[in-house]
Amino acid sequence: MKMFKYIWLKDLKAELYTWKSLAWLLVTSMIFSVIAYLLLTNRELSLLDHTEMLWLFGKIIIGSALLVVVIDASSLITSEFENETIEDLILTPLSVKDFVLGKLFASLTLWLLVYTVAVPYMVVISSGTKLMGAFLGYTALLGTIAVLGFTMFVFAVSFFYRSLKNTLTTSLTLLLALSIPALFSTTLKNNALAKILGSINPLDNIFSSLDNVLVDYKVSIAQNLTFIMPLVLFCVAMFVILIFSTKVFKRRGIIKG
Amino acid sequence: MNEVIVAKNISKSYRDIKAVDNLSLSVEKGDFFGFLGPNGAGKTTTIRMLAGVLNPDKGTILINNHDVKDKQNVSKVIGVLSESRGFYDWMNGEEYLSFFAELYGIANKEQVISSLLEKVGLAERKHTAIGTYSRGMKQRLGLAKALINNPEILFLDEPTIGLDPQGQEDIQKLLKTLNQRGVTIFYSSHLLHEVSYLCSVIAVINEGRLVAKGTLNELQDQTGSKDLKNIFFALTNHK
Repeated sequence: MKMFKYIWLKDLKAELYTWKSLAWLLVTSMIFSVIAYLLLTNRELSLLDHTEMLWLFGKIIIGSALLVVVIDASSLITSEFENETIEDLILTPLSVKDFVLGKLFASLTLWLLVYTVAVPYMVVISSGTKLMGAFLGYTALLGTIAVLGFTMFVFAVSFFYRSLKNTLTTSLTLLLALSIPALFSTTLKNNALAKILGSINPLDNIFSSLDNVLVDYKVSIAQNLTFIMPLVLFCVAMFVILIFSTKVFKRRGIIKG
Repeated sequence: MNEVIVAKNISKSYRDIKAVDNLSLSVEKGDFFGFLGPNGAGKTTTIRMLAGVLNPDKGTILINNHDVKDKQNVSKVIGVLSESRGFYDWMNGEEYLSFFAELYGIANKEQVISSLLEKVGLAERKHTAIGTYSRGMKQRLGLAKALINNPEILFLDEPTIGLDPQGQEDIQKLLKTLNQRGVTIFYSSHLLHEVSYLCSVIAVINEGRLVAKGTLNELQDQTGSKDLKNIFFALTNHK
């Protein structure tokens, strides 16, 4: 039995005992309820095309999930430093790799729960179209890759700062920095620099892929590879940063010095 | 000679402050090794380096003939009650020990946990959240955690701090029993009467350097002082 499992289960229990996860799920379900209501009423009034509605809702699910996961993940590793529990963990045979993997699984579990909460809304909103499967599938795929990448970044920053305040500020800054250009209008995205930045921005690629699937009906993976590959590369880059950060942590030990 | 802890010329600095300066020491199997020094002398840093949670800037450390960096072999034979005593306050005492028993891969963990809780006097409060424990109770739980893997070498940094007199005596008795069973104990404390009562060998560190090591009799001969307090003052240049 791999040791990361114990860290994963411990963090899941911590999230449930402290009602953290449940609070996040309540918040996301409220956001989804309000947005779904607004979108459906717009649809009833023929103010919004059905495919546009799906695209907007997909963006909101992934955006909200990323926000929740980034905030939550910021405390997963830093709390071990701030509560001085890291020393006892390091003294056990637990490796840093298993420690990080356990924390990563805890973060992915929260994403899975947020996605599960979103599923009924997605089913209702996509009913009457042939896109329900693609909508559910692509939201899951793109969301999982994005959550993985952002969580690895948050963990890398956590090992560097070892404080919740700094980790949260840096992680939210990155998320906002990538979100804002992704929400620019098509006109603003037309110049060469914006196109280059858009092609490497993970959030831009998520939104473009959802657009490709839900608005342009290009549902095969091959037709979306141009958007999925930059996302995967983002994850690889974050993985490299995380590896570097854990190596620095191992060299420094529990005290930054 | 069966040395289970060997530190050779270890040094550690925090920015410009030299916490440990070219320290060499060895502890033999079965020793109850008292480690004394004034505040800021480098005791906690030394213990952290010996336990492998802090890397020395230079020097080597061997634990049971394994390099301290060989975590898999070292973590199995050592138990540590460290200075930073963080707990998962939402867990209860039993869950806390169970979590660490799993990390150490203890086979019969229910039996081990139950016996440890009994030994440290927490059996009746095992289902209570750690957040509600007093400082002394947390101290006892920390000691139980340090013993969870049945260690051959025990590092204790101020183990009886925060305990009432009865608690101090209980822990002292437990440590004596463990030492009689062959557990090597590396014991850092400011309670000099406790050190003179428990320890077979005493080392004194000052400004990161080892200034003396020996039995109480040897330290008495070296300093010309009778009680440990005066020995300590003489060795640390107390004015």
